[in-house]
Amino acid sequence: MSSLRQIKFLLGKDLRIELRKKESLISMAFFGALILVMLNIASGIGKQIDAESGAGILWVAIIFSSVLGLGRVFAREKENGCVAALLLSPITPGEIFAAKAMVNFTLMSLSELVLVPVFYVLFGAQLTAAPLALLPILLLVNLGFSTTGTLISAISAGTRRNEVLLPILLFPLILPLTALAVKATAGAMAAKPLTELLDQLEPMVAFCVIFTAAGYLLFPFAIRED
Amino acid sequence: MSVLNRSALFSGLAALLLPVAIGMVFFYAPMEKTMGSVQKIFYFHLPLAFSAFLSFFVACVSGIMYLRRRQRVWDARLAASVEIGVVMTTLVLITGSLWGKPIWNTYWTWDPRLTTSLILWFIFASCLILRSAIDEEGKRATFSAVMAIVGFIDVPIVFLSARIWRSIHPTVIRSNSVGLESSMIVTLLVCMTAMLIFWVGLYKFRVSLYLQEAKVNDLQIDGTKS
Repeated sequence: MSSLRQIKFLLGKDLRIELRKKESLISMAFFGALILVMLNIASGIGKQIDAESGAGILWVAIIFSSVLGLGRVFAREKENGCVAALLLSPITPGEIFAAKAMVNFTLMSLSELVLVPVFYVLFGAQLTAAPLALLPILLLVNLGFSTTGTLISAISAGTRRNEVLLPILLFPLILPLTALAVKATAGAMAAKPLTELLDQLEPMVAFCVIFTAAGYLLFPFAIRED
Repeated sequence: MSVLNRSALFSGLAALLLPVAIGMVFFYAPMEKTMGSVQKIFYFHLPLAFSAFLSFFVACVSGIMYLRRRQRVWDARLAASVEIGVVMTTLVLITGSLWGKPIWNTYWTWDPRLTTSLILWFIFASCLILRSAIDEEGKRATFSAVMAIVGFIDVPIVFLSARIWRSIHPTVIRSNSVGLESSMIVTLLVCMTAMLIFWVGLYKFRVSLYLQEAKVNDLQIDGTKS
C-alpha cells in the first residue's frame, strides 16, 4: 500500500501548487473558451451547427487547451532540477508516472467543467442531449490523453523546445482516440443511448489500457536524465 | 570495411534490378482492362508500402534493443529506418493519390489504409523532428526509441479505429477481389524484390554513415578536451 501513499503524496503536492498559483487551470479554461468563441465566429454568426461538427469543435477546444496544462506539469519539475530530486527519493518512476497522469486527469476534468457549459451556451441551441450524457466519453478521453500525454511531456520537457514539440509528438498518437471521441460525442449529442455508442467506447477503453501500460513501462526511460 | 562492401553489393544489385523491374512493368505486364496504364503505379505502390511498414517495424525493434542494450549501433539502425520509412511513406502517399485521382475521382479519402499510412507518416516524421531537437547523443537515442515504440504500438489501434470510425459510410474500395494475372504477379514479385534489396542497400549505407558521423563527433570532442 505504500506506493499508493507515495502517489497520493505526489498528487497532493502538485495539486497544492496548482491551487496556490492557479497558473495551469486558468490558462487552460481561458484558452479553451477563447478557441470556442473563435470557432463560433468562424462557423458563421447566427448559424446553427449540427451534432457532428459540434462534437469536432468541442474536442478541438478541449485538446488544444489541455496541451497547455500538460506542458507545465513537467516543465515545472525541470526548472529547478526537481526531477533529479524526485528520482533520488524512494519513489519508483512508475509511481511518478501514475501521479503525474492523475494530475493531468484532474486538471483536464476541471477545465472541462468550464468548457462544456461554455460550449453549450455558444453552440447548444440544436443539441438535444444534456451535457451529462457526455460524461463517460469525457472521462475516457481524459484518461487516454493524460497517460499518453504524461509520457510524451516527459520526453518533450527533456528537450530545448518543450512547448513546440509536445503537440507535434502527442497529436498524431492520440488521433485515433480523438476521432473515436468525436464520433461518440456526435452520437451522444444526438441523444443516442449509451449502448449504441459502445462501438466507439470499447476501442477507446482499449486505447486507454494499451497506452497506460506502454506509458508505465516506457516512462522510466523518458524521465531518466542521462 | 566489409560493411561498406556489403552495402555496395546490395546497392549494385538494386541498381541492376530496379531498371529490370521498371522494364517489366511497362513491357512485360499486360495492360489492365478497366484502369489502363494508371494501374501500373500499383507495382511500385505496394512494394513501397511494404518496405515502409518494414522500416517502422525495424525502428520499433531497434528501439527496444537500444533501451535494453544501450549500444550506439541500435540507435543508428533506428535512425536509418525511421528516415527511410518516412521517405517511403511519403512516396506511398504520393503514388496512391496519383492513382486515386483517376480511379476514385479524388486525391484523398479516409479509407482505413490511407488513414493509417498518413498517421504513421505524422508519427515518424515527428520522431525525426524530435531527433533534430536534441543534441546529447544518449538522450536523443533514448527519446527516439521511446517514440518509435509508442508509434508502432499505435499502428493497429489507428487501423482498427479508422475502420470503426468510418463504419457508417460505405468503404470506397474492398480488398481487390479481382485476381491478378500470373504475369502481373511475376512483375509484382520482381518489383517487390528489387525494392527490398534497394531498402537493404539504403539502410546499410545510412547506418554506416551514421556510425561514421558519431565517430567523427567523438574525435572532435576528444580533440577539444586535450
